[in-house]
Amino acid sequence: MKDDLNIVGKRVVRSDSLAKVTGRARYTADLKFPNMLAAKVLRSPFPHARILGIDLTRALKVPGVKAAISGFDTYGVKWGVFRYTQDHSMLPTDKVRYVGEDVAAVAAVDEETAMEALSYIKVDYELLSAVFDPVESMSEGAPQIHEAYKNNINIHVHIDVGEVDKAMKDAYLVREDTFKAAGEAYAMMEPYAVVASYANGFLDLWMPNAGPHVRAKALSNLLKMPLNKVRVRHINSGGAFGDRSEVSPGDLVASLLSIKAGKPVKLVLSREENATSTRQVHDLIATVKTGMKKSGVIVAKDYRVIYDGGAYSSTGPIATSIPFYVYEECYRFPNVRYNGYRVFTNKCIRGMYGCHGRAFLAGNEAQMDLMARELGMDPVEIRLKNGLTSGEMTATQSRISSCGLAQTITTASKKTDFKKRWVKPEKGKGIGMGCIAIMCGFPMGFRSGSSCYVKMNDDGQATLVTGLVDNGQGNESMVIQVASEILGIPMEDINLINADTETTNLDPGAYSQAAAFVGANAVRIACENARKRIVSIAAEKLGVEEGDIVLKNRLAFSGKTPDKKMPISWVIREAFFRGDPIVATGTYFPNIDFEREWVSRPWGQMAGTFSFGTSVAEVSIDNETGKITVPHFTAAHDCGRPINPMVVEGQMEGSIQQAGIATIMEENLWNGGFLLNPDLLEYKVPLACDMPDIETIIVSSMDPEGPFGAKEGGLTIRMNAYSAIACAVANATGNLFTELPLTPDRVLNILERKKVAKK
Amino acid sequence: MILPKFDYKKAEDIASAIALYESSKGQARYLAGGTDLIPLVKLRLSTPAAIIDLKGIKQLKTILSEGRRLRIGANVTLFELKNHAMVKEYFPALYESLDATSCETLQMRGTIGGNLLQNTRCLLYNKSLAWRKARGFCYKMGGETCNVVPKAKACFSNYCSDNALSLLSLSASVKIAGPHGERKIKLEKIFSGDGRNPFTLEPGEILTEIHIPLKRSRGAYEKLRVRNSIDYPLLGVAVSVNNKKGRVCVGGIGPAPLIYDLKDVEGASVKEPAQKARQEAKPVSNTTLSPAYRKKMVDVLTQRAIKRAIKEAK
Repeated sequence: MKDDLNIVGKRVVRSDSLAKVTGRARYTADLKFPNMLAAKVLRSPFPHARILGIDLTRALKVPGVKAAISGFDTYGVKWGVFRYTQDHSMLPTDKVRYVGEDVAAVAAVDEETAMEALSYIKVDYELLSAVFDPVESMSEGAPQIHEAYKNNINIHVHIDVGEVDKAMKDAYLVREDTFKAAGEAYAMMEPYAVVASYANGFLDLWMPNAGPHVRAKALSNLLKMPLNKVRVRHINSGGAFGDRSEVSPGDLVASLLSIKAGKPVKLVLSREENATSTRQVHDLIATVKTGMKKSGVIVAKDYRVIYDGGAYSSTGPIATSIPFYVYEECYRFPNVRYNGYRVFTNKCIRGMYGCHGRAFLAGNEAQMDLMARELGMDPVEIRLKNGLTSGEMTATQSRISSCGLAQTITTASKKTDFKKRWVKPEKGKGIGMGCIAIMCGFPMGFRSGSSCYVKMNDDGQATLVTGLVDNGQGNESMVIQVASEILGIPMEDINLINADTETTNLDPGAYSQAAAFVGANAVRIACENARKRIVSIAAEKLGVEEGDIVLKNRLAFSGKTPDKKMPISWVIREAFFRGDPIVATGTYFPNIDFEREWVSRPWGQMAGTFSFGTSVAEVSIDNETGKITVPHFTAAHDCGRPINPMVVEGQMEGSIQQAGIATIMEENLWNGGFLLNPDLLEYKVPLACDMPDIETIIVSSMDPEGPFGAKEGGLTIRMNAYSAIACAVANATGNLFTELPLTPDRVLNILERKKVAKK
Repeated sequence: MILPKFDYKKAEDIASAIALYESSKGQARYLAGGTDLIPLVKLRLSTPAAIIDLKGIKQLKTILSEGRRLRIGANVTLFELKNHAMVKEYFPALYESLDATSCETLQMRGTIGGNLLQNTRCLLYNKSLAWRKARGFCYKMGGETCNVVPKAKACFSNYCSDNALSLLSLSASVKIAGPHGERKIKLEKIFSGDGRNPFTLEPGEILTEIHIPLKRSRGAYEKLRVRNSIDYPLLGVAVSVNNKKGRVCVGGIGPAPLIYDLKDVEGASVKEPAQKARQEAKPVSNTTLSPAYRKKMVDVLTQRAIKRAIKEAK
């Protein structure tokens, strides 16, 4: 890696760290405004019921109550990410479709009063039969959840490349397995909260979100307000993981209450509400059929995947597609057929997730290992043989511009002595490998690009203005670091204004892995444009060539004769004198095929570039109890050049927890339509003591387009860590898993299946 | 979730605590560490008009070694008890169960008395009022049914104290003070066996002391849980052995622990009590792992605990 950089690529302290570790960073629930009211939401007690009427009159009479609303106070506009998925009215007037759905709300002088008032809201329901299992839901005669979607099939993604049936017939080895995975909770540290303040015709909002502009646009539609009157402001976010990319019913609730009451309104969800009523992760049933040549080359894949989508579309077309794409961006499939079905059930809405698709991806990888063994090969060999390389096209016609997949496989396997340990595992032990590719951004129409505006201030400091969003992963610090490198001033000299719809321009947001590749690229270009102006004045003043000017440590100087120097602040002031202050803009728009559509045209360039990675898990199984421990976990990641290696490593470690160790414990449990573990005691997020020793390895492929060669960092491990665990368990037990998570009872079943098979 | 309103009263000694209780018309709850009570109050599973804080009562905070017994005040924290020199040396099963209780932060807050008198738990019970209203009230909430086993006549909520099991294996007894005076009973007598109201204590009674016979024992505690900290036991097995005799206690399944004697340690069959416990344990689907699995584990963990205790005894 070329390393003539001062700041980028260095382990610098994040710009937001101090405020966060000292508790000074403000989150939505911390906001206080004069005369602010507290809101509470009345939720559906039924999984499926017709609403016959909602009576708010008694609630409004409770002293201290300032406003009460239901769906009958809205314009009845339905939300959908796509034109063809507009089915979510946020506050329903026809029927409720899951336990916990928002039905009505009040705003009062305090939380106790609001809670009391909820008990006076009268809702008349007519109960309807409900369905909770997606397979049942797809079959004839199941209760219809939305009239518009026959057999409750919300989305069907159909991809067919080459001649799958013929290739399967000609294949040397064919195997078909079905894998299930329970849905998960996002379990972010910050339960959802929103503050809405309506005054003088403007509606200002604060909430953890992954894209303020799309949020404002949705609310402007729902409230029939001009977009310039709806302003989503910047606030710290306590985690999103894919949950917070869309407008939420709470946003509409707080907005309507604030408009009605004429006062700011704060709605803070409880931990339980955050689990039952925001978004959950899809349950999955994935049938994976693979055909291979005797040489181990994959000739065909045939997939049927059922996604339990819950009650509404949400990001349905994307969620039904992503597991397939991150896999086809990793391996070469000459013939492939994918049938993904997202099916409605009477459960909470399912959204995108950083670890989305674990049954599908872990199933593919574990099955590949079994086939490799049958062909006398090992996981390393078969992955290297089928893995994509730079310059290749994926099955659905995305070109891979930079690819370090092979390096991540070989580095991770060497570090762990993988081949030797995999061939003959010790008793009760196993080792497994998972690979994946991740797109850095995906088509979002005119919102796919990002813009940045930079102004140089009179003391030589800079202000960056960008739409870029930080959900806790360090994106804000990342762009400050990029600007610092280019402008030659330290990070603390750079102020950031971001994720605010009034002051910043469009940005793809923090949910398509585009922040580094797209957002930081726009910042880079804006700063380079500002730098040109600084360099030009400095060269003139110092009497040297522009190409000789170096910007570093707040100074502009000649590279050849460093004694010729001046503070950057003097350059800035000179520009002010000339009546032409240094301001610059920069825009980056990725090279994506915008004809591409998730359902109607699933081919063409998906993203500007792709990240790659390999995870290796070592497991140890208690043969009597089925309990898994993970002593060691190794992850190798091609994230291009890491802008801050410490942050990338942190993301990798978090991913190992959230995807890897989670896959032995995390699952949502159900009693009909009731979520049994909407809390952090019974929903098993791995604890510090459950974590393995971790080794993180950054392999840099230096992307030609990325800012300083950077690509997405971290999510890659989030989408292969579970595969490594599942493959390690298969290695230890000699058997494939059928269902995730691999809790002790399920592992014991695998072990007992093996015993039966031996007899 | 916010707490509902209640009166807060702090007692100086046991007599005044009981007097405060008597003046509250039965609408009060005693508070020690609060790690069990406060979540129950937040969920509106307990809605006392008054909370009587016992933390200021000095008498309840002492550990005394008195000839033939160790006297432990009910307000001694789990962490203090765990780090008491005699516990590790004399009562290894207790040391292990204390160490396995929740996490150290909560061990510093929770008391041994509160740990013994913690309410039984169920995935369908420990929920917010809104959740429970939607699902319908069960026996334990004053309803007419069990939401886990639809036609059952009883409540299957689980008693989840780790330390009751080890204390039972050590033949501990407890001292109780109340409006009608003091009494001392064997620890096993505090359990009613009814998940709706799992303890035999009378209204207003306070568990004040725990007495353990001061005999050097060998022992072990085995705990089934998904994560290695914080989690309540999905099954717990404590075994203590002393002078060739021992006691095996199985808990975390159902409203009261199961107790078995190990009569002759030397010739003991490890399998016999384990199989008996497996037969008698009646797990239902009210925790995060399946009942069939938990039943199987009764056998496995009981054998493990006995083997470990015997091995250490030899």
